[in-house]
Amino acid sequence: MNFWPGFYSLQGAWYLLLLVPLVIFYFLKLKRPHKHVPSLALWSQVINDRRVNSPFQKFKRSILLLLQILLLLFLVLSLMQPYIQSGSDRAQYLPILIDCSASMAATDPDTKISRLDLARERVTELIDNLLPDQRISLVAVSSTAHRLTDFTDNQRVLKQALNGLTVDDVPSKLEDALRMTQALSRTVPIKTVLFYSDGNFPKEVSFDLPFELNYQKLPSAGSNIGITSFNARKNQSGNWDVFIRLENSPKYENPATIELKQDSQTVAKEELVLGKGDSQRIEFSINTISGSALEAVLTPGSFDSLPADNRAFLKIPSARSLLVFISPDLASYRYALSENKDLELYPEKEESAGPAEYDLIIAASETDLDKPALVKLGVGFVPEELQQYISLETKLTDVVDWNRSSALLRHVELNDVQITEQPVWAENAGVENLEGLGYEVLVHGRLGPLLLQKRNSGELEFYFLFNTDHSTMPYRVGFPIMVSNLIQLTLQEAGIAEVQASATPVLPAVEYVPEKKYQIRTPDGQQLSAESNKNGLVSGIAALHVGKYLITGEGADSAEICVSLLNPQETSLVSIDEIQFSEVPVTASQTQIDSDKPLWVEFAVIAFVLLLVEWWYFQRRPVGIPS
Amino acid sequence: MSQETLPNQYTSLFDNKMLSMLERMRLNPTRRLTNRSRGEHLSGKGGTSTEFSDYRNYVAGDDVRYIDWNIFSRLNRPYMKQYQHEEEMHVVLILDASSSMDYEDKFLRCQQLAAAFGVMGLLNFEKVSAYACNQKGGRPAKLSPCTGRISMKRLFDFLAKIQVGGDSPIEEAIEDVLRSHRGRGVAIVLSDYESFGDLQRPFNMLFSAGMEIFGVQVLGPAEINPEINGDLRLVDSESGQTLDISSAGDLLRLYHEHRALLEDHLAMLCRQRSGRFMTINSGDSLEHVLFDQLRRKGWVL
Repeated sequence: MNFWPGFYSLQGAWYLLLLVPLVIFYFLKLKRPHKHVPSLALWSQVINDRRVNSPFQKFKRSILLLLQILLLLFLVLSLMQPYIQSGSDRAQYLPILIDCSASMAATDPDTKISRLDLARERVTELIDNLLPDQRISLVAVSSTAHRLTDFTDNQRVLKQALNGLTVDDVPSKLEDALRMTQALSRTVPIKTVLFYSDGNFPKEVSFDLPFELNYQKLPSAGSNIGITSFNARKNQSGNWDVFIRLENSPKYENPATIELKQDSQTVAKEELVLGKGDSQRIEFSINTISGSALEAVLTPGSFDSLPADNRAFLKIPSARSLLVFISPDLASYRYALSENKDLELYPEKEESAGPAEYDLIIAASETDLDKPALVKLGVGFVPEELQQYISLETKLTDVVDWNRSSALLRHVELNDVQITEQPVWAENAGVENLEGLGYEVLVHGRLGPLLLQKRNSGELEFYFLFNTDHSTMPYRVGFPIMVSNLIQLTLQEAGIAEVQASATPVLPAVEYVPEKKYQIRTPDGQQLSAESNKNGLVSGIAALHVGKYLITGEGADSAEICVSLLNPQETSLVSIDEIQFSEVPVTASQTQIDSDKPLWVEFAVIAFVLLLVEWWYFQRRPVGIPS
Repeated sequence: MSQETLPNQYTSLFDNKMLSMLERMRLNPTRRLTNRSRGEHLSGKGGTSTEFSDYRNYVAGDDVRYIDWNIFSRLNRPYMKQYQHEEEMHVVLILDASSSMDYEDKFLRCQQLAAAFGVMGLLNFEKVSAYACNQKGGRPAKLSPCTGRISMKRLFDFLAKIQVGGDSPIEEAIEDVLRSHRGRGVAIVLSDYESFGDLQRPFNMLFSAGMEIFGVQVLGPAEINPEINGDLRLVDSESGQTLDISSAGDLLRLYHEHRALLEDHLAMLCRQRSGRFMTINSGDSLEHVLFDQLRRKGWVL
């Protein structure tokens, strides 16, 4: 801190020249009021008194002049816009990123102030100390970045935007905000970016910093306990096992009560105590056939910083069998699935016409894949759009490598599988061509891909580019496992065997009537609108708050979709001290940012006080007059 | 300043009721400065009146007619019986009629007080004369010595017709009066005494002329408690001289000190010459001054 003030508008010093006419006019006083008195004899004695002519009395006689000079000096100083220099470089354009993720709503047990309010206070202080050549832009950071203001020095606009800032019940993601700031730096020179956060975000950020990031870490809040996972799985007996995971922040041990409501009726309740940083999974079993709405309510036994993670919602679908179409040519698949009682296999022998929609299609030709289905598996052909890149040759080949983490190939061993049809890359074709079309290679052969995956809007598609029946695969133990994985995948896609609670920040896609408008009412009362695509999917709706979203429109029939926070990181309230960027780490600053402090307001106030003093001095009752 | 006289009032200076009260009052000088001529003022010296005063030893040459023969018969020693001497006392009213008195009824109060003192003198068979001084160097307006109730109207008319205005300082005015005045008695000097000059010399001359000085300082309320502030240019009413003062409010304390000093100085000058001094606020009522202040201070009986 430099205690010598700087002046932003030094040219204001020219106004000091007004001192000259002030002094001249004071002493000349062209119109001195005349007062007729009977005799000057007494007044002459008074004026000649030694005490009147003492230096102090002379000073007292000129005190009005002194006050006027001081008043002018302070006014001119205010005009010169002085400021106390902080010593740090003064940024002309300063973007301020403010974390608005769920953890910023965490409150302190003593002050009951949320982290966002704390950040708001600090940013307000910066705005108050804004100098005339400085511009600030406010950016809210949650799961995405949202620019609140342009670069401006309008304190009213900045404070209005700051006061309108609310916490979103979403995890924070810093990359978007940094990219937005990087885009801003192309229009204005940005040296430093301020980031106010409680430190609850992923430690590693994939971003190359083109500017200096000043990470202002806010003090941590109190303890918190919350629901971080809520899902259900249908068990063998047809009941649903409901799993709720609770996590406690590392600060204090917390008692809590968890309550499970099924269609608003409490069906289970359990009391538990979670140690510091503990996590516990609780299992309940419920019975439903026609589907139910579950709600988990956590009641903390002691202070809880974050209320947003104390509720979670889950929708259990109604029970039904999977509808599976298998091309008659693919006997191995039909054989592998024939014993499963929960499946309805098509085409049946008696009738050739099946349902209009299927859950799973396993087809040997592309025409069979045209039917609508959640999951499709093509076997033994190259999709038409890929035929320019891949061709099939009748040649023995085997598997080189496969994606072991793929849901379809989980626990599937493909070593030593002999294949009689070999997909071969066309000249100059490669994986990138397939990726351009949305395909992912799951199994690599010697000269080309063997298995492809593609997510086509609501459909999940797999393509074996060789006929599995013309390989040793059906004879290997991996084949039934792969088929079982396929069924599990279909169950997941259909959402009838395992369901997971939806989490912020986006509503899960729902299917209604194609190309229709739908109104969505958020838990905080806002109205959103969305339009279904040609497949009837309504997707990409922002769900920034925990609670129930009501969708109205054709086919929606006032459907309710509930979302929960369900984020272990936000619940834990763990804060990081260092952000790891691609090249350099950024450490949290423990000291508050020291900005230049403008002084013109103080000087103006002093000038005003001097004006009042001068007025009082001029108007006051003369001393010596008996009351 | 001339006052309109109401048809049923004897004088415009005060009403008949006050006049009748004044007629019963008389001056109470501390010294017995009287003229040799016989009058009705009781002198401290032995005289020939019918009022007994004292006894003293007989010395050769005394008039044997005043020997108390009753005492001589008892004590066989002659004692002279003394009587009070009734002599004439001259009451001189000196009014300062300069411009400085033309403020806040100061001169009216002077006229009223002079009339009151004059009435007391006339009705006690004293010789009363009055002088009004306004122009420096000029001869003061004079009311020749007169006595008795019959002269009361003359006195009132003289006082009522005095024109205020001029630059005569009080010290010079007294000297001017003494040039034409003869006789011993009481000199009542009515002025504001706001003069640059020294009053020692004129007071000495009054004392030497056998006058007991009754100094009456008449000040206006604005002179006793001036309410001024800021930077001003003061203009003297007599000389037209100006004086610039700054922060007048701060000087008021000193002003009060100097005014008190002037009062003390004047009181001392009078006291040293067996006289009396009093400051009167022209804002106070005449009744208060005459029947309260003057009485309490023993100026009148």
